[in-house]
Formats: sequence, C-alpha cells, structure tokens
Amino acid sequence: MQAASGYYRPGDSWLHRRNPVTKLLALAWVILAAFLLPPLALPVLAVACLALAAANGLGGSVVRSLRIPAVLIASILVVNALFFPGAVDVIIRLGPIALSREGLVFGLVTAGRVLVAFIASIAFLQATLPDDLLEALVARGASHRFAWVILSAVQMVPRLQESAATILEAQQARGLEIGGSFGRRVRALVPLIGPVLLGSLIDVRERTFALEARGFGAGGPRTAYRVVPDPPGDRWIRAATLLAIAAVVLWPFVAPALGIR
Amino acid sequence: MSDHEPARAGEPASATPALALDALVVRYHGRRTPALDGIDLAVAPGEMVGVAGRNGAGKSTLALAAAAFIPRVVRAQLGGSVAIAGRRVAETPVRDLLGRVGIVFSTPSNQLSGSKLTVREELAFGLENLGVARSEMDARIDETLGSLGIVHLAERLPTALSGGEQQRVAIAAILCMGPGLLVLDEPTAQLDPAATRAVAELLAGRAAAGTAVLVAEHRAAVLGSTARCLVLDGGIAAGIDVPGGALGPEIGGRAGVAVPAVAMLAHGLGLTAGRALDSGAVAAAIRAAGPGELAAAASRVRAAGAWSGPDVAVAPWEAVREQAPAGIEIRGLRHAYPGGTEALRGIDLAIAPGEAVAIVGQNGSGKTTLAKHLVRILAPGAGSVLVAGRDLAGRTIADVARTVGFVFQDPDRQLFSRSVEREVAFGPRNLGLAEEATARLVAQALAAVGLADRAEENPYDLGLSDRKLVALGSVLAMDPAVLVLDEPTTGQDAPGIARAGAIVDSWTAAGRTVVAITHDMEFAARHFGRIVVMRAGEVVADGPSATVLAAANGRLLASTGLEPPPLALLASLLGIAGLPLDPAAILETP
Repeated sequence: MQAASGYYRPGDSWLHRRNPVTKLLALAWVILAAFLLPPLALPVLAVACLALAAANGLGGSVVRSLRIPAVLIASILVVNALFFPGAVDVIIRLGPIALSREGLVFGLVTAGRVLVAFIASIAFLQATLPDDLLEALVARGASHRFAWVILSAVQMVPRLQESAATILEAQQARGLEIGGSFGRRVRALVPLIGPVLLGSLIDVRERTFALEARGFGAGGPRTAYRVVPDPPGDRWIRAATLLAIAAVVLWPFVAPALGIR
Repeated sequence: MSDHEPARAGEPASATPALALDALVVRYHGRRTPALDGIDLAVAPGEMVGVAGRNGAGKSTLALAAAAFIPRVVRAQLGGSVAIAGRRVAETPVRDLLGRVGIVFSTPSNQLSGSKLTVREELAFGLENLGVARSEMDARIDETLGSLGIVHLAERLPTALSGGEQQRVAIAAILCMGPGLLVLDEPTAQLDPAATRAVAELLAGRAAAGTAVLVAEHRAAVLGSTARCLVLDGGIAAGIDVPGGALGPEIGGRAGVAVPAVAMLAHGLGLTAGRALDSGAVAAAIRAAGPGELAAAASRVRAAGAWSGPDVAVAPWEAVREQAPAGIEIRGLRHAYPGGTEALRGIDLAIAPGEAVAIVGQNGSGKTTLAKHLVRILAPGAGSVLVAGRDLAGRTIADVARTVGFVFQDPDRQLFSRSVEREVAFGPRNLGLAEEATARLVAQALAAVGLADRAEENPYDLGLSDRKLVALGSVLAMDPAVLVLDEPTTGQDAPGIARAGAIVDSWTAAGRTVVAITHDMEFAARHFGRIVVMRAGEVVADGPSATVLAAANGRLLASTGLEPPPLALLASLLGIAGLPLDPAAILETP
C-alpha cells in the first residue's frame, strides 16, 4: 500500500497546522541542540519531542517509525562501548573485546544525539505535507528546482523501502535464503542492490519525463494553486526559534566563559 | 473531423498540421543503427493517429520526438525536422512548446507528482508551471475533468486511485494545460480491458473535440479507434493505412504486430481495409460466402499467418530434478492488507496436478494477492494453502520455491547478473543443485525462452520483451513442479506473447501445473484449459475456458472489467458454439 505522500500522516492537530517553515526551523533547533548542548539536555529533548508528538496524535506512529534507525542507533552504542580507541577504564575484557567506561559513555551520548535527531525529524515529516513544505520554501524565495530536490528526497525513502521489499520477495522466490549466518546474510544483499539501484534509476527517469511533460523544466514565472496557511502566531514562534538557534550555536563559546562545563 | 481547434492569435488560420515529422532520424549515442530512420508523418488537428510495431521498433522514440523531448530531455541525435503547430522544435523555446504538446506514458503511478492530496491539485500542478493565474485555475480544471467525465475524481487522493483512474487523471493533467497535440506512449499497457476501452473512448472523444492525438500502442482496442495507423519495423516505416489495413497481415503481420483475428478473417475474405476490424461486416461476409469461397478464404488466412514468422514451438520440458506432480488446494483463504482493505474474501480452489489454470479479473480483484499466497510471499489471514498435499504455513519463501516457481510481472525487480546465463543459473544454484544438473537446466531454460544465442549478454542490454523472457527462464531453470506467472503478457509484444504461450504449452505437455494471472483473454483462452474469474476478492466463475470465456458469459466478464476474446464475439454472431481460437477454423465450421 502506497503512502499518501512520503511519511505524512494526514491530520489537523496544532502541529499539523503550523507553517512548514516554522516546523523546519524548530527541527533545525532540536538537531543543533542535540549535538551542541551538554549531554544532560538529551533526555529532556527526547522526552519533549515525544511529548509534543504524542500531544498532536503522532506518539504511536513516531515510536513505530523509530524501528528504521534502531539498528543504526544500537550499533553506534555497541561499537563504541566495545571498541573505543585508547580506552583506559575497562569494565570487562573478553579476548580482543573490551567494554570500557569511556566507550560506553561516548556511545550513549552519540546514540542519544542521533536518537533525538531522528525523533524530531520523523515527527516533522509526519506532521508536514511535503508539498506544503515545497510551496512554503518557494514562497520564501527558494528556487523551485531546489525545493523539488528536497521533496523528492523526502519521498524517496518510503519508495525505496517498498521496492526493496518487492525485490527481496522476487529473489526469495528464486530460492534465495535470507536468514542464517552473517556471511550468508551479506551475500544475500548482492542480488538486492543491483535491482534496487537500477529500479530507482528507471523510476527517476520516468518521473523526470512526467515532470517535464507538466512543464516543470520550463523556467519562467510560476504561480501557486495551494495556499499554505501561515497562522499569525507562527511569526512569533519563528522569531523565538531563531533566537534559540543563535543561543544554541553560541553556547559552546559562551559556556566556558561563564565557567559552565 | 470538421471542427478544428481555433487557431491561436498570431498563427496562420490555414490547416497547419498539429504535428509534422519530416525525414525524421533519431540516433541514440553508442548505438550503431538509428532508432528511427526517415519517418514522415503529419497529424492534423482533430485527427487520431496510431503507431504500432514490435517492442524496439521505435514507437517510444517516435513519441518522445513528437513531444519535443528529443534532444532536450532525452539525449539523442536528431536529423530531419519535427514541427509542432507549424513551429520547428529545434528553433522554438521550450516555453512556447509547452502549452502546445503534451505526452502521457505507460506507468500510471509514475505520471503523477505523488505529492498532491487531491486530483484537483494534481491538475493544478501543470498550470502552476505554466504560470496561469490562480483565479483561472479552478475553471480550467473543472472544464477538463468535465469533458473527460471524471468530475467525481476531483477531490480523491491520486495515489489511492486504480491504475485506470490514475491514467485518466494523467491524461487530464496534460489536457488541462491546453495542448493542441496529445502524444501517448503505450497508455494502456498496464490496464485491464475495461480501463483500456475507457481510455480509447476518451482519446477518440478528444480527437472529435479538435485535439490531435498520436498514440503508440499494442492494443487493437486503442489502435482500432484511430483514423490512421503507422507501422514501424526496426525504426523504418513499414506502412501507414487505416487501422484495419495497418494491423492486417500484409503490413502489421509482416512487421511482427499482433494481427487481430477479425482482420485476419477480413483478409482471407478479401474485405476492404476499412471494414477489416468490423466483426459485423466480417460475419455478414462469412454468411454470404459459398463453401468454395470459404475454403479459399481459409487457405489465404493460413498462408497469411505464416508471414509473421514461423510458429514458435518449444519442446516439452524434460525434468532434471526428481519431483512428483503437485496440485494446489486453497481452503477458505482470506487476506486483508494493513489498513483493512480485504483483498481475498474466502477463496476455495483445488487445482489438480498437471492442470493449466488462468486466473482472470480486473486490476484490484485480488488475483495477484492470491498468487502470492502460492509461494508464501503472503501468509493467509485465515484459511490455508496446500501444495502437493503439504500446508505452506511456517515455510520460508525460499523453501516453497523448490516446488513452486513464481515469475514476477516486472523483470527489472529481479535481474542483477552480468550475463543472461548467470542470471538463469541463479535459481538452480540457490537450490544447491549439482553443476551438471544446473548446466542442463540452464541450457534447457535458455532454449525454451529462445535466448540461447544471447547467453553471454548483459540482461540490461536486452529489450523489455527479452528481459521478461530472461526472468521467466530464470524460474524455469529451477525446474519447479508448479509454475506461477504474474501477467506474463504485460509489456510483451506479439512474438514475446507467442513465446510465453508456447512455454506454457510445453510445461503442460510435460505434466507440470501452470497457473497464470492475466487479463489477456486471448492468451488465457489459447493456452489454459481452465479459467477462474475473480471479482472483489471472490471467485465468481470457474470452469473450462470454452464455457467461461464464451460470448454468452459477456455480462459476467464485464462485471470484472473483462470481455470475451474477439473471436468469441464473432462466433456468437455466426451461431457457432464453443470458443474457436483459430481464425481459419471458423471459416471451415459448417
């Protein structure tokens, strides 16, 4: 079943009604904060993002979508905890593998940062119609080609997932075993990658043709049919977010001066 | 064809053709032979012209050139000239061409932007790009939807529409931009017969309203409603005539185009090309002819049949793996997709070992969902599926694949090897067969699909017809007891369809079980003894093909987007019982 449009979940919550640019700025702030603020901020950010999603009816769907980056986040934690270079404070050693305190801390912090970035990004994608984002960016002077690249990238991931699933089925139907040992799983990737890449190239070609047929490459002045709402309160949220972004970006410089670590 | 589109301001009011191709040559980079060589064609406003030919004959290239996509969007060398509404494409800025020509392609979902929430917004997209004032948009959108009879789709979600509906929306999205010339490249390739007919009627209606239409197609249902039809063969014009003549054995047949059975009979009876696709006229001519004339007509039909090349025959399949014949038993099968759509609503079906069964029904009737249960790609929501007496529950796809071979509709979803031979060997290697057995199976499969002499080539250097055959061969080489084919004729041309049919026959002759999902009624009638008709997730008819596909069953078939094969209609006009498949045989029936 194809999604309506990328990861978007239709709805009319407070979060859905914000102007896409407002949400994009807020997303930028959360990601910057996750990477620039001290690690203690991470649990606060994660809980705040999840609470915001839940309050707007997206709690369950955001958590479910976290399955996708779960492997990445877990591997960041495990690899750092076990293989941290130059670790001194070893908790347990098992042959060449050493669980170190430094590695564990670094892994937890990095995984936490990536987790927060994913929670915020998924909530943003689920509450924002890609097309509205495109129109809002164009209305603010972005080139519509650039905006379309952003939009296509947003839509690409679910489409690739769908096509990878079909291809996997087709290869299994030719006797490809996908379970079993690590080596076997890696070998099973070979018959997947080619068709996924070629399939998406063919897809992109057909879509490019269709866009050209609709005059997308024409250049020249463009009009807009859909009016993207910009509620009056959004202006203040954007101003506050911009200030918050400035504060977060300056934090690493200001904090030492104030004697805060 | 009287009411031409009013000329735009500043244009000569004379009958300038909407499209004029003059000695058109198109050469893709790195190809020795040109894709099109010396094509002349003029399409007048209000005229609908068809383009027919085998896959690779140059139909798509012609469509791309006519829509001014070459060389701007598709890189290729262009010789001769293309003029749209009197303007030479090479010297006209893109913006000037945009509102004058539009093109529609074959994959419905890829035509739509994929980001719009309603059909109305989808149509507005083209207008936005043209810079049409917002205040004018709704009126233009409503007018287009109204003229195509799809106003009811205006507020629907485009991605949730059926393929046929999406394709009509794609055509509307182009027509909304107001082009005088509409080009289509196999617009019905993925549609069922009812949706195909709807698109054909829509195009004929637009032509009657003054738009020039150029449509590249395989289907006689669409080509039959054109005024003239150009037949391409290897990039060269093989002829241009009214559709009855162009699709007849002398022009189309020699160029590898599927000759409609009615046109074949008309040729035998010596009817004029103008009446060659008219079942009523052909039936009247048969009734009026004496026995001697009918016998002469039958021999002319037989002779003409050979022009399109020798009959494809595939030797009966020889087993390499030791496998007992396997039947299929489906009990109370139900399946719902996430979101609640119930695709299968209680299917009970028993297929005996060695039986050849075609499962037919319109897009969305549940036939592919049913087929995917036969290889355990999908697991039943309720009920069970047994193959060779064993329940598939708990088995992996790869394990079931030892018994059931499943050929996907889209070959590009599975081909990945450097050569055709390695691709075909992928399946038997996965089964862990000995090298000697694998080699025998690969050789036999390559011979069956007719690609033995191209074994060393990269599959992606082959055309779509051959890529589909590679995918089929790669499953044959696993030597399964049951063969399941999903839409084997989609995107395939006449010789490719004949090849797929011959393979079905060779497997049936070897006692294997073959199940095909198809909405190609002629293919189903010709190669399958039993037909299962599906509608909305249920089996609504099941029986011998001669009974199920007979003209008397027309109403039931129409209720699921199908129609009896063309000869069934003719047989019923003549009062012939059963389902004749061979045109010559009809002439010899007393």
